[in-house]
Amino acid sequence: MKENSPPSDEDLLIGVRSGDEEAFLTLYRRRQAAIFRFALHMSMSPALAEDVTQEVFLALLREDCGYDSARGVLAAYLFGIARKLVLRHLERGRTSIAIDVDTEDVLPELAVHAGTLENLTRKEGIEALHKAVLALPRRYREVVVLCDLEELDYADAAVALGCPIGTVRSRLHRARALLLDKLSQERGLRPSMGALKPARCFI
Amino acid sequence: MNCEEFRLNLHQEARYPGARLRDHAGACRECAALLEREQALVAGFRALAAEWSGVEAPGVVERRLVAAFRGHAGLAAVRAKRPWWVPVVTWGTAAAAVAVMALFLVRGKQPEPARRVIPRGVELAMVLPGDPNLATAQMYADGDFIPLPSASGMEPGEEVNLVRVELPRSSMIALGFTVSAERAAEPVEADVMLGLDGVARAVRFVDE
Repeated sequence: MKENSPPSDEDLLIGVRSGDEEAFLTLYRRRQAAIFRFALHMSMSPALAEDVTQEVFLALLREDCGYDSARGVLAAYLFGIARKLVLRHLERGRTSIAIDVDTEDVLPELAVHAGTLENLTRKEGIEALHKAVLALPRRYREVVVLCDLEELDYADAAVALGCPIGTVRSRLHRARALLLDKLSQERGLRPSMGALKPARCFI
Repeated sequence: MNCEEFRLNLHQEARYPGARLRDHAGACRECAALLEREQALVAGFRALAAEWSGVEAPGVVERRLVAAFRGHAGLAAVRAKRPWWVPVVTWGTAAAAVAVMALFLVRGKQPEPARRVIPRGVELAMVLPGDPNLATAQMYADGDFIPLPSASGMEPGEEVNLVRVELPRSSMIALGFTVSAERAAEPVEADVMLGLDGVARAVRFVDE
């Protein structure tokens, strides 16, 4: 551990393993918000996001938590656990997320009223973008949340999602095209995705 | 960079477009429009992320986790602080106990003298071979034994077996004794004189 620089997640994990409560708290406070937001974006259930966040950090306390620093950074590993927990919960109670349509070409209709690309940084634009993100099929939504909202790089996202980096890239491409299409359609800025016939993602 | 390369790198570099990307966009109107759209989307993502930046897990999660951590760390500390010799002594003691128990069991298996078991209700059985003083009608004549009504008489010198049994007191009535109704069910000990043919010849009540 270098002096005057914050300890890395991996250093903190070593502290956690040796019973250092301060290390555990530091690690938790550093990562909990992103894990909670990811779970919330994926489930839209604050209670579920709370449970998932708790489970993710409880998993760290187990000796056999399965984290291998050679495979990726700790943050990616934590997102990976959170993702599995969210999916498990969603599969148990499919009715809770009506917008979770996991098909390639079907995008549920949204009430995107002020969907211009120019005002995405304004309140209405942000709201429209958020609705469009939530309406994405799950496989695209998770990659957008990880890479575009939580700013994980593609390699870490690949670890979290348990897929090759090329899959992350292609899903992001498709997800952004779906978002742009949805947001532009409202103002007639762009032809629909059907008209453009984008390359189909086979993965 | 051509248009295909531009589009391949567009998503990854939209946040911070490199010089090559910018140069190509400067020369190609279609790609410039793509870059503009992509950057608008990136700006939207940033704004959305900023709006959500204050969203975090409730404080109760941290409290629960700290409690769980303390429980876990406490157990780990107990395991860590245990001296190295504790498991050695524990296992050694257990092994010694097993060895002593095994030795005890092996020694306990050595043959022991046969015990004589006297069944309850039959106190005595004896054979009187060739002892005319005890085994014959002499005993009969002593008056202790009462000949059973259905039995044949004793021959002089006949060998007999004596068996002590418990009978209901009511059985004495058939031999002429008086038994009150209250005591009829009580047991009474008796010596039964059996011939070698197994037939009872006489009976003597030990405690009338």
